[in-house]
Order: sequence, then structure tokens, then C-alpha cells
Amino acid sequence: MNQAKPASPGRRKFTAGVAVATVAPTMFFIGKARAAEQVVVRTPGGVFDDVKKETIYDPFRKETGIEVVPVAATTAKLMAMMKSGQNELDLIDTGDSTLLELEKSNYLQAINYDEFKYTNPADIDPVVKRKYQVGCFIYAMVLGYNTKAIKPGSEPKSWAEFWDLKKFPGRRTLPDMASGTPSLEFALIADGVPMDKLYPLDIDRAFKSMSRIRSAIPKFWDTGALSSTMLADNEVAMGAIWSTRAAVAIDQGAPLGIMWNQNALLAQAYGIPVGAKNLANAKKFIDWSSTPEAQARWLAKYKAIPVNTKAYGATSKDLMDPATGTPWTRSKGFLLDINWWADNRQKVGQYWSKWIIS
Amino acid sequence: MSKPRKFNDPAVLVMPAVLLLALVFVGPLIWFFIQALASIGTPAEIVAHAWAIITSKAVVTALSTTNWISLMVTLLVLLISYPLAYYLANNQGLRFTLVLFCIVVPYFTSIIVRTYSWMVLLGRNGIINQVLQHLGIIDEPLALLYTKTGVLIGMVYVLLPYMVLTLFAAMKAIDPSLMRAARGLGATGFYAFTRIYFPLSIHGVISGSLIVFILAIGFFITPALMGGPSDVMIAMLIERSVEIMFDWSGAAIMSLLLLFATLVLYAIYYRVTDVRRMMRA
Repeated sequence: MNQAKPASPGRRKFTAGVAVATVAPTMFFIGKARAAEQVVVRTPGGVFDDVKKETIYDPFRKETGIEVVPVAATTAKLMAMMKSGQNELDLIDTGDSTLLELEKSNYLQAINYDEFKYTNPADIDPVVKRKYQVGCFIYAMVLGYNTKAIKPGSEPKSWAEFWDLKKFPGRRTLPDMASGTPSLEFALIADGVPMDKLYPLDIDRAFKSMSRIRSAIPKFWDTGALSSTMLADNEVAMGAIWSTRAAVAIDQGAPLGIMWNQNALLAQAYGIPVGAKNLANAKKFIDWSSTPEAQARWLAKYKAIPVNTKAYGATSKDLMDPATGTPWTRSKGFLLDINWWADNRQKVGQYWSKWIIS
Repeated sequence: MSKPRKFNDPAVLVMPAVLLLALVFVGPLIWFFIQALASIGTPAEIVAHAWAIITSKAVVTALSTTNWISLMVTLLVLLISYPLAYYLANNQGLRFTLVLFCIVVPYFTSIIVRTYSWMVLLGRNGIINQVLQHLGIIDEPLALLYTKTGVLIGMVYVLLPYMVLTLFAAMKAIDPSLMRAARGLGATGFYAFTRIYFPLSIHGVISGSLIVFILAIGFFITPALMGGPSDVMIAMLIERSVEIMFDWSGAAIMSLLLLFATLVLYAIYYRVTDVRRMMRA
């Protein structure tokens, strides 16, 4: 059987032309918003923006006079925008692995922590304080379960138990390749690999491990919305889900529970693209929104863990391990290695494509 | 032919649309394909790379899934639409308006909203399964969602209006006196239908089926949300290549494949439907 070549020659050698075509339509609506002082930010959009507007954008404008202009763009669109040299963004607010992809193509500027005035850089959690990106909040991939299907207290306490179809029959869900990062780590942990010895991931072993529970998985989720819908509707009894999604659903009354043991730490982060027109404003925004006050105000609503360690006191108790007084991500989690994923995502993708239809 | 073109000449009227499409769609598309393919290397390398992708197990399986689902969807849509269109073509007033309303209005709602609504209905604990279980018809919930059945239900629903409206146009053009004449000459209703009405509506059947099939092979949202893990259609593979793997040359090759299939079908569609005759009608 023939197979696609592992390397994608298109990726690095890509020329500007392709990108212009993809990006052109976005230019229309960014153009009209050119006010006095502003910072144009790529955001995930939707509820994320609603919450952030109230807790960050509006107070930031009142204090500094700088208008935050949110713009939606997918990762591919960001890539296209940067490749074509048509960047209209001052700041990118997205997942840490997307920023890493941009960094690897030299599209990001280094974060200058020395210039911080509002935030003490020493307060920022070192795991998300990187050279080319700084975390804006921390969350995790956790084990979520429907509390009607599984009584709280009797849920699986580890990924090994999640993998145990005899002890826990019932339907499950895990992230699809289309989510960007399928749960190879959990598959390996369930197979006996210690949390601190995961990387480099043994892809073959991980897929073999996933095959063991494949029959109990009616659907792999590709978007966060689907994962919480499936769990809330008891379409599946349990699954790997983003902690923020689960927590917001719980807030809205959905019968969900979270099991924090062996969670995978993920981060949403800021990066400044090369060619940012309002560079000073972008820097100021990062600095201003990383203060303990801003983080606490915003993340209380968004149910995420602050990057500013001084904000832990104001963090929702559900996110903190009572035994240690630190966030669950620190006491029971491991850091998802975005570098490994950036280098191996294509390989995993090709493996996935074959595995899913077999 | 030396007459100056008038303002209401169809060729003039269609110009703005053609220019717009050429500028913002056809041009960039060709540009994209050239750039993405050129980034692979020499023509020989392009062919080798394209061949490797097209013959890979993932793409071959996705293509056969895509074709099978599209074919089933087309047949189901045709079966449901034909009586509906017949009803529309032979009724006026409130009945006509009401049925047309029911078919067309959902069309204005976002496809994502409609797909999620189906998920609420079809889920294991969804309304349909609950009703059936309460009535004692089934013991275990039916696997309607995250299966091929789910994909078929969702796609049939979304594509129904295209077929109904195409068939309706074809049926409206059938002279009702022909059926009356057949009955007058002693043909049974069934005989008159199979010998007169159906052959006269076959144009609509073929063009409606082609249009539904063409739309179905490019479907993405419905199979992604309502299908099972292995119900991977070609458009889903393309999306993943672009968004997750940034493999744009691979995506371009798969897109070309899909575009080629669509164009071939469209050429057939164009031959079958007499577009000018439909415009006059």
C-alpha cells in the first residue's frame, strides 16, 4: 500500500502568493476600525470575547485610552497572513502550540519582560513564561464525566482506570486529530508510562493503547463545544475534555464532574507578530492584563488558572488542590510538550488517518 | 449581428457577476493551486507526490466513503422529494404556500445550528430514542447519531430543498392536458404516470440528482459533527491538512481531485439540463 510522503515540502517553501488570496477578505473589516489608539488582537471569538471585553478590554481602554479590536482568525489564516507579509495584527491571543508554529517560522517577536511596568515578571508561572510567548491563562485536559451516569466519588481515578472497560463499561470520548492534539499522552499513561517519562512519545505504543478502548468510543471530538455537549447529554459517560469547557458547563448547570489526576497542562498565550503596527500598545496590553487583579477578574468568569501566581488567592477553589494550595495543574498534572507536537504533528496525523479507518 | 448590445442583453447583465467571480474566486483559486503545487518541486516530483497522496489508504477510503454517502443521500433525497414536488406542482393557494414555506424556511438557518438540532433529536438520550423507548418499541437506544445513518439523515435534510425546487420547476413545465388526454384514452393513473408524467419529469430528476450529488461530495460540517469516527469524507481530510497539519500542498492536491470530480459532474449536468429552456419557462 502506498503512503503519502512523511514530509510536507509545501510547508516551509511556501510563497507569498497563496497567502494573499486567503487573507484578502479579512482586510476589509480590519481596515475600518482604525481609530486613534488601538491594538488589533486575534482572539478565539464568541463567548471568550464577551467575557474578556467586560473584564479586560473595557477597563483597559478606560485606563489607557487604547481600544482593543478583536479579530477572529484560524491558525491557517494566521499562517497565510504572516507568509504574505500582510499582517494587520498587533497581538495574537491563541493556544501555545499555534504560537510555537508561528515562532518556528520566525513570525514572532521576543517578549521583553524587562519592559513590564504593571506586572512583576517574577510572578508569572515559569512554565508559560517563554521567550516568544507569554501565557494568558492555564487550563488542562482533564477526565470529565457525567454525574448522572457515574456517581461522583466512583469515577475513574486515573487514565489506567479510564482505559479499564471491565471496571468502567460505558461510552467514552477522546479528542480527534482534528482538535490538533489527540490524547496520546493519556494512552501511554494508561499503558504504564510514568507521567515524567512521556516524551518523546512512543506513537506506535500510544495508538496500540488507544485501540484497546476504541470500541467504547462512538465519537472523537474535534471542537470543545462537541466534547461538552456529548458529556452533558450523557451521549458518553466520560471523556478527556478541556477543564475550562467542563467548568463553564458545570456553571451553567450541566451534570459534569472533573477528575484532575494526571491532567495535561495547556496554555492560552500572547505573542507579538513581526510587523505589529501598534507595538507599544501590544506590549502595554500584555503587561496590563497579566496583573493579579486583571487575571483574577477575568479568569474567575472564564474558569481558568491564572499565569500570575499572585492571583491564586482569588482563583476559584475548584481549580486549586486543597492538599497543596496550588492549582491542580501543578500538583497533579504534567506539561504537554508543545515542542514535541510541533515536530511530530504531521507524523501523528498520518498515523491517525490510517488508524481511524482501520 | 452588428446590432449594438442593449443594456438588457443577458451577456451584459451577467458581466458583473462573472467579473466578481473571476476576480475573487477563480483567479485566487488558480493562483493557489499553482503556488501550492510549485512548492513541491519539479513536475516529476509533483506527480509523484500527488500520486502518493491520491493512492494513500486514507484518501482512497475517504473517496469511497464520500461517493457512497453522496450516492445514498442522492437516492434518499430523490425518493422524498419527488412526491413533495408533485404535490407542490399540483396544488395552489394555502397548501402550496405552506409546504413551500416548510421546505424553504429552514434553509435560511445556519447549517451548524440545524446540525446541532439534529444531534439533540437523534442522540442516545434524544427525543426520538426517548419516545421510542417509552412506547416500548425499542429496549436499547438506537445508534442514530455518530453513525452513517446520522450523516445520511443530516445531509438528506440539508439537501432536500435543492431537489424539491429543481423537480418542481421540471414538473411545472409539464402540460397537464397530456395527463388528462391519457386518462381520457383509458390509461390507468399508474400507467399514465409511468408512461407520460415520469418520462417528462426525468430532466428534473437527473439535474436535481446531479446537483445534490455535487453538493454532497463537498460536504464537511454534517459528517464531521454527526458521523462516526471512521465516516471520514474527503472535505474533512482537506480541512485537517490545512488547519492542523499546515500541509497546504497536500490539501491542494486533494482539492484538485474534488474540483475535478465536481467539474466533470457539472459538465454532465450542463448537457442534461437545458438551461436556456428553463430560463424561458
